[in-house]
Amino acid sequence: MTDLLVGDGRTHIRSNLMRESLQDRAVLGATGSDNELAIMPNVTLISIGGQSIFDRGASAIMPVVGELVAARKAGVQMVIGVGGGTRVRHTLSVALDLGLPTGGIAQLVGAMEECNAVFLNALMADHGSLPMQREHFWDLPLYMNAGMLPIVISVPPYHFWEPPPESGALPEHGSDFGLFVHAEVLGMKRIIFVKDEDGLYDCDPKKHDDAKLIERTSLPELMENLPEELILDRKLFETWENSRHVQKVVIINGLTPGLIERALAGEDVGTVITKERADV
Amino acid sequence: MSDRRVIPSALAASTLTTSEGFDYKPIAIEPDVKVLKIGGQSMMDRGRSAIYPVLDELVQCKDKHKIMLMAGGGTRARHVYSMASELEMPTGVLAKLGGYVAMQNARMLQMLLAKHGGIYILPDDFEKLPLYFRLGCIPIASGMPPFEYWEKPSALGRIPRHRTDAGVYLTAEVLGASRVIFVKDEDGLYTDDPKKDPNAKHIPRISAQELIEKDLPDVVVERVVLEYVTRAKHCKELQIINGLKPGMLTRALAGEPVGSIIYKG
Repeated sequence: MTDLLVGDGRTHIRSNLMRESLQDRAVLGATGSDNELAIMPNVTLISIGGQSIFDRGASAIMPVVGELVAARKAGVQMVIGVGGGTRVRHTLSVALDLGLPTGGIAQLVGAMEECNAVFLNALMADHGSLPMQREHFWDLPLYMNAGMLPIVISVPPYHFWEPPPESGALPEHGSDFGLFVHAEVLGMKRIIFVKDEDGLYDCDPKKHDDAKLIERTSLPELMENLPEELILDRKLFETWENSRHVQKVVIINGLTPGLIERALAGEDVGTVITKERADV
Repeated sequence: MSDRRVIPSALAASTLTTSEGFDYKPIAIEPDVKVLKIGGQSMMDRGRSAIYPVLDELVQCKDKHKIMLMAGGGTRARHVYSMASELEMPTGVLAKLGGYVAMQNARMLQMLLAKHGGIYILPDDFEKLPLYFRLGCIPIASGMPPFEYWEKPSALGRIPRHRTDAGVYLTAEVLGASRVIFVKDEDGLYTDDPKKDPNAKHIPRISAQELIEKDLPDVVVERVVLEYVTRAKHCKELQIINGLKPGMLTRALAGEPVGSIIYKG
């Protein structure tokens, strides 16, 4: 029987956090550990870019679908995420122009990602895809056991409660970040982002002819010199610094045939960013 | 290979990872709503002796103000975080768990206020606030933000950084309210936890930036809220009052700076 404690006017349940305000740094530090539970570590998350893949239409999407299906048939345990694309950017432009608050803007953007999830699901349903709503978070083991291809929500459900950004008004927690956190909380080790460039560059290769591809790097090295123009949400990298599970983030060109299958098979293609430095 | 089919817009070519220069004039969605948090450990866990008087006071004020009531967590949240830490659960799981407790507290408040128009609302109901206020209701919600499994891992330990103070603050900010009221069991902010240090001094007014720089070992409000106040577009003042002192809530709702004010700056 758990003890209840009274005496300072409040009824407490005995625990090592009772009476604490949870702001005290010593208390917070004591809650960490090096052995955090990895809930579903053998699943890989693969994200299909919005602007980079979906907005190119059938010529880009259909080959990607083919490779995803082939990988599933080969037994890869994976969940799929999707980006938003140009409709997101348009939403943001209109919302900023209307003066909507950051939280309101965040509430709006997810819908455009979901459109791409609907497309992908329609194209893959016959091979076992299904859209995973937030309420079905814990149905994932069921879907994996049944050989399904879950398509998870990508923008995190911060909605109206999106924290104020460090500068400007655009929400900082987008679909790349949302997928990262989803993978991290489930203890996944590897995330693959499928875009329309060969990987991460030191600046936007669509704008700079002399952009240099970064093929292999580590998070600490990257954070020392994070490019201003990034192919993934900045928040993803900041969050990864505090994470315990994700070991590799891989960025590949979905317009190059065969790379998706190879990446899902575990090959290091495109840009591979590791959590730790290589010499550790 | 087809080109990207782009809808022309100001941000069409943006990767959205750089700060944009935009002529942004933020609107306040419902600035006259008073967002009010009833503390978990500080108030709910005291039971009737604390809650009945403060709710009586709230009912006296309800026709003068649009009040949105939000609930903190408390000792059950601490217990569940403690158990979850022992089981090595990730931060996102703790955030989901903590949400259950704040939800319970919000439901308790609703039962106590039902006769006076108290209704329990979910994040999905947020956009119906105008309807609820027109009907004279007191919307009551869990103070936890809806991040749940998507709460970011913390650098320090595994307790979620965004808990009920953050959820309440962000509610006030998105509604465009200029001030948010936290009803706790101390007169406001002190230099250290007054329950542990009898020499702790009361701070009636301080800027968030100054408070952050003081780097106190313990603070009365979640640290993320202090960070967010420094970036606020609307909710630039946190007010912390003592709900155990009769009259404080009435005065705070009337706009008086009782307790402590932490302001953007």
